[in-house]
Amino acid sequence: MISTFLQHELKSFLRSRNMGKNLAIKIVMGLLILLFILYVFLAGFFLDKILALAFSKQDLIICFCGIIFIYFLFELISRMQLQELPTLKVQPYLQLPIKRNTLVQYLAITSFISAFNIFPFLLFVPFIVKIIAVKWGAGAAWAFVVSILGITIFNNYLALYIKRKSNLNGWIFLIFTAILVLLCLGDFLWHLYSIRNFSYLFFGHLIGHPVLCILPLLLAAIMYYVNFLYLRSNLYLEELSSKKESYKSSTEYPILDRFGITGDLVANEIKLIFRNKRSKSALIMSGIFLFYGLLLYTKPGFNHTDYPAIFVGMFVTGLFIINYGQFMYSWQASHFDGLLVNKISFTNFLKSKFILFTMVSTVAFLATTPYVYFGRRILLIHLVMYVWNLGVNTLIILYAANRNYTRIDLTKGAAFNWEGVGGRKFLIVFPLLLAPYIIYFPCKYIQQPDLGLALIAVIGLIFIITRSFWMKKLEADFYKHKYTIAEGFRTK
Amino acid sequence: MLVVNIPELEIKKGESIGLVGNNGAGKTTLFRMILDLIRPEAGEVLSNGKNVMGHEQWKNYTASYLDEGFLIDYLTPEEYFYFIGGLHQQTQANVDDFLSTLADFFNGEILKKGKYIRDLSKGNQTKVGISSCLLQKPELLMLDEPFANIDPSTQIRLKNTLKEINKQQGVTTLISSHDLNHVTDICDRILLMEKGKIIKDIATSSSTLAELEDYFAVGPVN
Repeated sequence: MISTFLQHELKSFLRSRNMGKNLAIKIVMGLLILLFILYVFLAGFFLDKILALAFSKQDLIICFCGIIFIYFLFELISRMQLQELPTLKVQPYLQLPIKRNTLVQYLAITSFISAFNIFPFLLFVPFIVKIIAVKWGAGAAWAFVVSILGITIFNNYLALYIKRKSNLNGWIFLIFTAILVLLCLGDFLWHLYSIRNFSYLFFGHLIGHPVLCILPLLLAAIMYYVNFLYLRSNLYLEELSSKKESYKSSTEYPILDRFGITGDLVANEIKLIFRNKRSKSALIMSGIFLFYGLLLYTKPGFNHTDYPAIFVGMFVTGLFIINYGQFMYSWQASHFDGLLVNKISFTNFLKSKFILFTMVSTVAFLATTPYVYFGRRILLIHLVMYVWNLGVNTLIILYAANRNYTRIDLTKGAAFNWEGVGGRKFLIVFPLLLAPYIIYFPCKYIQQPDLGLALIAVIGLIFIITRSFWMKKLEADFYKHKYTIAEGFRTK
Repeated sequence: MLVVNIPELEIKKGESIGLVGNNGAGKTTLFRMILDLIRPEAGEVLSNGKNVMGHEQWKNYTASYLDEGFLIDYLTPEEYFYFIGGLHQQTQANVDDFLSTLADFFNGEILKKGKYIRDLSKGNQTKVGISSCLLQKPELLMLDEPFANIDPSTQIRLKNTLKEINKQQGVTTLISSHDLNHVTDICDRILLMEKGKIIKDIATSSSTLAELEDYFAVGPVN
């Protein structure tokens, strides 16, 4: 039975909408995953060298044993954020004559298919083979591998158990995450205890007494069983799928009232962003990227040219335009028909996009004014790029939006989510990224960098001033693609 | 493949039209063409004498609900009603007034429940869609299977409402349904579709229901 389930699972993966459509995406995705696995594997392969570099004064084995628990602690934290619950998949089988235990076993097994469960082996096994097996023999090496397997399984089911529990009560998630964070802080900030010593305490003894590896295995078995029991007694649809609903109150944004219907449209889109998982993560991503400048500006060699600031300026003030805008109008795919038949003119619809972009970019620009610490020129360049973003990049993004026919599911997170990503998306990145440099570079070449910046600003301004003209063009362009867009958004 | 092929069809102001036909007959596609959501390969749809394609005046007097794709599902029902009302220059107070007349229809399950539309049951979503149409005070009302998913009490209330706005306010109604009892009850004219064609155009009389039942019992002639 379970093999039938696994076959269905494989089919659902191979036939999912994200997979089949675009060969280019599949290749890029596959390469990225391979690259990532390769990185982890390389890190594992050279772990002895890395550890020797990082903790040159200490014994290699002590370091290695010390970092294992730390790794698993951080792994648990990331599992809590990223690992998906394999729950809804059983829905079609619940009413069929299939034993409950089989279903639960299936859930437990599929939940083990996760990249999180490969990484510890890629990371630690090379070291175990290279160092421990050589020095202490196969027995100790196997004890390490088995222990790591045990802790991985334990982590896997603990994370899922907590996630399931927190589906019923959101506080559990917060409390558990807080405990994990406090555990980290207690070591790294307050130095109350040392996780590394604790980790060495176990793994250090493991070398002498390989039998101890039964301990993590036992923990894993207990956790699996707890999870199993919990699932078996809670295998009901509403408990598995839906989160406990809190009272959703209506919100209004009085500032937007003076924009009339356009303001209403902006208000709706703001609600869209905050009330859906994927759009929310796009916004959060833009927020995190505000700190991007810290990476580049703190490097000493980067202060002599304007290039990094142009790049950073475009990203910090415009990432929302690029990151959120690239999926327009797919965000509204689920109710696009409604927008089309209601009394909404496309001009107002477009205007609402410009207002939204302007609002978020302005906030981003203001939030990044502290970069003035790295020099006033940086702030100036950010301002120039802010103008450029509003003038030019908004238009490029909306032009691309008229050619975007794929529906996206807003309830899925944005991380590793390739839904709605297509070859076109990659194509528009080039004009977005290159255009400012094409203007700036010749000026820099003739030793007139200020002229380059001025040109970027002026072109940006010209496009802002002539925006209504371009909006007419966009509108005419939209009517050409309207039916294709609507049809694309209708196909789930 | 030809989905809908209608040489000519005229609907007069104030008529109440019922559209029936088995799955795949082309009812929804016809609705979508009338609402300018699908471009016909040939021919045109005129609303008040103007082509719906390229014009937007028809949106001022047309209200429609075909499926959940017409609802903004991350809004609360209240927010959605205010938004739709706002499109027709109605203040929130106007909208609240209007919604209070629908208290029976809502049966206490729509307003002030603290749910987004996406968290409502399918029947309640249909109620939100239909009420937002009524809120717009349309001259032309188009509903695709409004009776599906809603409970019997609401079905009866909805039937009365539809009759009332058609007879008393002169609203042109265009309704598709699989429930032959309901359509023959509320519609004066029945269009029967089969494989994209309108094969019968009947003025409703006491024998219409029997006639339709005969047709559907035998099934479409292949």
